[in-house]
This record gives sequence, structure tokens and C-alpha cells, in this order.
Amino acid sequence: MSFPDPIAVFRTEAAELLEQIETGLLDLNHDLANKDQVDAVFRGLHTLKGSGAMFGFEALAAFTHHCESAFDQVRKGMVPATHDLVSAVLNATDHMRALIEVPAGDHDASSENLLSALRLAVEHAGNPDAKAAAKSETKPDLTHYRLHFSLPRNAMVNGTNPLPLLDELRDLGECIVEVDKHELPALDDLNPRDLYLSWTVDLKTTQPRSAIDDVFIFVMDEMELRLEVMGDEKVAVKTAEPIPEAQSSQAKTAEVASAPLRQDHAAPAKAVSQPIEAKQTKSNENVRVPAERLDELMDRVGELVIAQSRLSQLAGSSGDLQLRAVSEDVERLSGELRDTMMVLRMVPVAQLFGRFRRLVHDLAIETGKTIELITEGETTEVDKSVVERLADPLVHLVRNSCDHGLETPEERRAVGKDPVGRIYLSARQAAGEVIITIKDDGRGINRERVRAKAEASGIIAANTVLADQDLLQLIFQPGFSTAQQVTNLSGRGVGMDVVKRTIDALRGSIDVTSHNGSGSEISLAIPLTLAIIDGLLVRIGVGRYVIPLSAVEECLELSPEEDMRSRGRSFISLRDSLVPFIRLRDLFNTNTTPDPFQKVVVISTGAERVGLVVDQIIGDHQTVIKGMSKLHHDVATFSGATILGDGGVALILDVGHLVAAGQHQEAQLRAAG
Amino acid sequence: MSSNETVAVLSWDESLTLRTISNHCDELLLALNEKSAVAIDISDDQPVDLTLIQLIESARIFASTSGKKLTLLKPAAGHLRDVLERGGFLQNISPEDSNFWLHDGVK
Repeated sequence: MSFPDPIAVFRTEAAELLEQIETGLLDLNHDLANKDQVDAVFRGLHTLKGSGAMFGFEALAAFTHHCESAFDQVRKGMVPATHDLVSAVLNATDHMRALIEVPAGDHDASSENLLSALRLAVEHAGNPDAKAAAKSETKPDLTHYRLHFSLPRNAMVNGTNPLPLLDELRDLGECIVEVDKHELPALDDLNPRDLYLSWTVDLKTTQPRSAIDDVFIFVMDEMELRLEVMGDEKVAVKTAEPIPEAQSSQAKTAEVASAPLRQDHAAPAKAVSQPIEAKQTKSNENVRVPAERLDELMDRVGELVIAQSRLSQLAGSSGDLQLRAVSEDVERLSGELRDTMMVLRMVPVAQLFGRFRRLVHDLAIETGKTIELITEGETTEVDKSVVERLADPLVHLVRNSCDHGLETPEERRAVGKDPVGRIYLSARQAAGEVIITIKDDGRGINRERVRAKAEASGIIAANTVLADQDLLQLIFQPGFSTAQQVTNLSGRGVGMDVVKRTIDALRGSIDVTSHNGSGSEISLAIPLTLAIIDGLLVRIGVGRYVIPLSAVEECLELSPEEDMRSRGRSFISLRDSLVPFIRLRDLFNTNTTPDPFQKVVVISTGAERVGLVVDQIIGDHQTVIKGMSKLHHDVATFSGATILGDGGVALILDVGHLVAAGQHQEAQLRAAG
Repeated sequence: MSSNETVAVLSWDESLTLRTISNHCDELLLALNEKSAVAIDISDDQPVDLTLIQLIESARIFASTSGKKLTLLKPAAGHLRDVLERGGFLQNISPEDSNFWLHDGVK
């Protein structure tokens, strides 16, 4: 039995912890007085720091320590939580991810920038008029301070580096720094990770005394600092002894924080917050299983379904009643096992929605808009692979809503709207599909601009008559963008076509509605699972293929006469409209004689249709999808393979690709006249 | 560690920070116990933090009390020099320290 790599385990758990910290910060941003959230964020940061140091991520521990200290100040009521402080720590969480992913990278510059922003936020939180006060404080003369300071033995292990503190003191004025080594032991008694040094600093500065305190703001509780004003016999002594209460509470959190990561994978979450603690108690009944093992199990279940199918065929052709009875039992059990397996793969979309809170928060800052994200149906469950693949399209859609859809607060006020723009993200299940809806209460899609842009880009001919839905679907065409300016967010004409391609690949569909002045709504309908599909089994030459049943509109017979008439045209007339078709025999070079009565399977993705000419329609088939090998990744016509009841292999046709190919063929023929 | 009969040269060509300092501590202690003289070779572009300076200062105490000789193969420069300056080690520096770290007075 192999044990997981502890570093990999740490990374996984740290990622979860960061998600929880981020959620706590975003919740706090909505309710700055919420003490539970402050505690939750503090404990999360404390756990991350402790476990980071334990697993050798020193830079992470050092950096996180500053954020933790900032929240410790908030926790103790020394400074209030502010939006700036929350934003500074949110930005810091991104940096923490980088420190976890690439611990040996060059992070110094960005660390310093983020910590400066954090310090500023703490200063302003502590005294909003600090700058003004500092200015008004008349300090025309230099004051000569002598500081003696020492940090606890474990300061560096806990992430405090004295060098930046000394640098900050130098920034305050003329500074002479001298190290004191008298506590340093000989090498055979040295713990090389402990700090034995202390410092004496002579500082001549015009800055107020509070500026010196600010340098040590993050370590004040743990250090010893003596400060004398020189040239004046009056000696101001400030010894920052650890506050007993704080000490005991820190000891308490350390107890929770440091031990668990090694032994109890679920423990970091436990240390985060009251609500999370409650959730944790429940999750103790759960078992964490790597996703790959679930995939392996799914493969085995797929094999079992195939073997059962073969058994059913054999039993059906046998007169042995006992064999038939056993076969029926195996069929029932494998069906139940498959259903159970499907449930195991389901995860709540909350996992997916969680990341959009942060995205919207950042987008609001980038665009200068006030945006509220409202989510609904987060407990809706979807196959895990669907969740993973939906992330990018949803990012595009949410970005698009923030950038194009919502107006600025001024524009909203001008038209009598609430200045706060709202984006609704919801999920629900309906008939084997999950419907994910992204809705905004912005300006709506400007149909005239969409049409003008589509005509100008040659996507549609001038004055083409289009149904409203078809017109709105044009925004998903490659290269389409109505943004007048290219911004960081959107306007490059890439993104929405990526959304369309991804949803097609997931065998899903997109529905768009929009009302001028009151917003737009985009609904994505996605199959609940990608692991097993209902397919239509067809034969082309001697090969068998599966067409996803969800894409099939109808099946027709292609008579020899019609086949002859369509030679060179590749169109069939279907209720007064021309539908392009692809002769799969030609595409696959079967080199066999065609069946006398060819069949056309009409498939569609949204409004686009194409006919696939096959030799025989065999019937429906419960298809367990197997991925193609790496060698076949470039073969765009097929999306996967399946094993049939007789042990043969059938390739699964990629509907999105074939429809696009058919439409391309149609466009070429039209262009040729 | 390369060595002739009495001098061991420790060439430290990896990160010399909190993360790795324990290994270097063991290596240095072993060398000082086994040899009468140890020279440390630190390249200018090596990442260095205070733990290294502490380690070397502590080793100097050990060497002086056990009659061993500890030297730097070349004067402190680059990151090492930077940490010495920022950490206040070069302020009011004694001739012995200056000789050790900066090779001042070495002809």
C-alpha cells in the first residue's frame, strides 16, 4: 500500500484552507463587525502559517505570519476590520498560493509590495487620520531614540525575519544598527533555527514615536522592546511583554493548528471558524478519496457493465433458464452499482460557485462598479468532471456580465436603478440535466449593435432575417465582440466562443434571453454526467459508432434516387430547409459497398444542424465512455470510445466537431455558388 | 567536503537559509570535530539569511574554545555581505571580526 506524499497532502489541504480563508474574508467584507469571521480568518491564517513551517514552506510561513498578525490585531480589538484590510489580505492569499506552488520562486518583490499594502491598511484601520495626524504633529527637531529589541527564540521559524524590521527603521531616518551576539552559544549547543541575536538601534528621526511602534506592529506581543529618548534624561521604556490572555489563546490555537495536518487531513478546516467547525464534525463521517481512485472505480464499473451486457447476450441465446436467471440478477446488480457509482461522482456546485465570489470582488475593484453576487442552488450536484470543465466558461460569462452587462453606479442612478449591480448565479437539476444560469440586472444586450457587428464581421449577410434567439446566439461566434474598447476583462472577441465550444463539448446547450435596460440571462444546460451516455449505435462500413442520443433530432432514409441527386451537393431537403450532410463512409474511407438504403441521422447543436449518412442504425446503446489514448488526442472527429456487449469497440462521434464541419462545408458550397 | 590533511573546505553552493541551515550546522560541526582547520566557501549569489551568520558566529565560538581554526575562503560579498550590513554586524566591527568576515588586515 502506498502512502501519499506529505507535501502533496499539505498542498491539497493548504488549498482548501486558503479557500476557507478567502470565503471568510469575503463574508467579513459584507459584515465587518462579524467577530466570528474575524476569528475564522485568524485561525485559518494561523493554521496555514504553522503547517507551512512544519512542511518546510518557510517563505509561506513568514509571509502568512504578517497577515495573521494583522488579523490578531483585529481580533483583539486593537484595530477594526476595514474593506482595505480585507482586500489587502485577499490579495495576499493569491501570493500564498504562489508560495505554495513554487516555494523556490523569486517572490521577494511581490511579498514586499503586498506587505506594504497590508501595513498601510492596518495603519489606516488603526487610525484613519494617521497621516493627517502625523503631518499636524509638529516635529521640527530630530529626536534621537535608542532602541534595544529582541525577538522570541522561535521568531524565524514562525516567519518573522528581523532584517525587514531593521530596514524599516532605517527608512525612518538616520540609523545606526548594531547586533548583540552575547546570547549566542557555541556550535555544539546551537539550535540553528532559533534566533539568539538582539539589536541596538540609534535612530534620529523627525517621525513621531508611533512610526517606530508601527514597525513592530506585527510582533509587538511577542517581543521585548526598550526605547530611550536620548539627549533627554527622561527614558521611555516600553516593554511589550506577551499578554497572558493572548498567550494562552495563542497556545490554544497552536494546539489545534500544528498537530492536525500530519495526522488528520480534515483538521485544518476545524481550526477555521465556528460554522466550519460545525461542518467539520459532519465531515468526520466522510472519507477523503483521491479523484483518480474514483475514476478507476468508474472504469471498473464500466467494464462490469460491458461484461454484464455480454452475459445477457449469451444468456438470451441460450435455453438455460438458470443461466438466464443469474444473468438477470447480475444485470440488476450492475445497474444498481452503476447508479451508486454515479452518485459517488457527484459534487455540489458550491465548489464551483465559491470561486466566483472572489472573482466578482476583484472585478468590482477593476471596473469601479459596485457588484453583488447572489448565488442559489449551491447544493445542486453534478458529475465532478462536469464541474471541472464548467469553470472556465463560467468565468468568461461572469466577467462578461461584470464588464459589459452591468452599468457604472452613475449610469445606474441616471436611469433610476439601484447603484449596486447584481449578478445571479444559480443551479438546478431538470430532467437529467443541470441548468446553470448567469443573470445580471444590467443594460441588456444591444441587438442593433450585435447585428451591426455580425454584419461588419461577415458572420451574417446584411439584412439577414434572424429569430431573436439566433441573433443573440451570434455573440458566441468566434471573433465576435461588441466591446468598443479592449479591456483586461473582455472585448477581445475571445471568450464567448470558448464558452460555446466548451458547452458543445459537454453535449450541453446555451439559451440567451435579454431585455433592454433590465439585464440578460444565459442558461447552460449540461448533462449531469459525462461518464455514461445514452447513445445511438450505427454502422458505417464494417465499423460501429455511437452518436450521443441527446444530439439526435431525427433519422431519415436516404433513398438511392435522393442519394444520386445529392451527389456533389451534400444537402438534403428537410421540411423546406436545406440541411448539409456528411457521408461518413467517405470521411472514414471505409472502402466497402454502401448499403442500398442509407440512413441519415440529423444531429444538432443549438440552431445548427447537420445530417450524418450511415449504413445502418442498430439501435440505442447505454454507452460507458472511455477516453481516447494520447495517440488519438488529435483526432477531432471522435470524443471517445466504448466497448460493446460482444467485446468490440465503437468510437463515439464528436457532435460539435461534425456539426461545425458540416456548416463549414455548407459555407464553402454557398461561396462557390 | 574536500580536505587535505588538516584543512577541510566546505563548499556551500545551495541556499543557505532557515530551510537548509540544520544540514549545514551538522556538516560544520562534523568538520570542526574532525579537522584542525575548516574553510567555508560561500558564493556571492547564494541566498543567505540571518541563520547562516548566526551559524558561522557560533562556529567561531566553538572553534576558538576547542583550538580549531575557522575561516572564510574569501571575503564576504554579494548576499552574504548584504545580510551582514543589514543585520548590523559590520557596525563598530572589531578587528577580529573584520579580519574574519572581510579579510581586512590579511596581507
